[in-house]
Amino acid sequence: MIRLASQGDPGAIRSLYDRYAPRVYAVVRRIAGDDDLAQDYAQEAWIRAIRALPSFRGDARFSTWLHRIAVNAALQSLRATRTRLKYEGPPPSDVVMVPDQRDSLLQRRLEQALDRLPEGMRRVLILHDVEGYTHEEIGNVLGVTSGTSKSQLFKARSKLRNLLADLDGAANESGVEAWSI
Amino acid sequence: MEHLSPERLSALVDEEPTVPECIHLASCRSCTSELDALRAQSVALKALPELLPPRGDWDSLEAELRAEGLINSFTLSNRPGFGRIRGRMKSVAMLLLFLAGAGSGALVTGLQAPDRAEAKVTPIVTVQDAATAVRLAEQRYASALSEYRQLLAAGGGEGLDIDPVNRFAALEHLVQVSQAAVRQAPGDPFLNGFLASAMAERDAAFRLVSSGRDDWF
Repeated sequence: MIRLASQGDPGAIRSLYDRYAPRVYAVVRRIAGDDDLAQDYAQEAWIRAIRALPSFRGDARFSTWLHRIAVNAALQSLRATRTRLKYEGPPPSDVVMVPDQRDSLLQRRLEQALDRLPEGMRRVLILHDVEGYTHEEIGNVLGVTSGTSKSQLFKARSKLRNLLADLDGAANESGVEAWSI
Repeated sequence: MEHLSPERLSALVDEEPTVPECIHLASCRSCTSELDALRAQSVALKALPELLPPRGDWDSLEAELRAEGLINSFTLSNRPGFGRIRGRMKSVAMLLLFLAGAGSGALVTGLQAPDRAEAKVTPIVTVQDAATAVRLAEQRYASALSEYRQLLAAGGGEGLDIDPVNRFAALEHLVQVSQAAVRQAPGDPFLNGFLASAMAERDAAFRLVSSGRDDWF
């Protein structure tokens, strides 16, 4: 299928998209922190991946290879979109999670809190705690030292904890079922 | 010892506490519960699910891929040389359609050829019976087709004077015709079955055509 896709076969490309789009969109959406940007970044990631398909030789799993491309595309696009507005309105309501997941309330709160993290903290937290990158890998991807990555991560965790507490407080005030860690 | 700072507690999610920190944590409920919460937060982050892209995402991506020339927009009916075989292949397609329809129809309605009278067919009374009969017909068709292929292969392909690429092109055309038919009658089991068979045959032909190019996949 990968070979067919690299030759431009529409069916094969669509099959790859159907299979991996939720994973690509998830990492890109979290890095972008914004729905509109996420869609643009995801498209950029897919275009880069399809363009690079002929060079994929199977040294790594395809999902890993694609994931790296998605992360790099999102980070580079984010750098180019420095004018990103900080989120001040109500939390995003149209982030659709893959069905059959438990603890959707917790996950929704986490997504909301992640969106409110400062960009630098969010990137490191997502790469480390969500995507499982090491500090060395984060350093390579972001062009920082692993020490900086650690420092940002620890700040981000603490900040996220406060943001979740704030969201919980707001939910309690409005009578919505709250969740706290 | 003073309370551990929020950042230090965040670090202890991954790192081992020092001895003084251990002693403090053993006696400080506040720091311990905060550390537990941070650990739970990290576990929850790892468990975040995949996210579905917004609707229409594929359509706009497909348009961009086409604009960049990364996805083929040609169909086999546009291939050079296809026009020459189109008329002949249409006839073949119509013949196949007729034969498949006749075969399935005979099975579904219970008609028997005189020399095959011993092959009893269950009377069709319900829709379920009809579906079973169609399924059996499809299995027999697939089995016959497999034998046909084996015989052709054993004979070195004699009698099959069709270039594999042209055969693939013909099957692609057959799929398109079948798809158009299914669009007109989406619930028709025969048309759906025929389309499925045509697609399977086309895919097999494509694998045959493409297998000679390279095999790194």
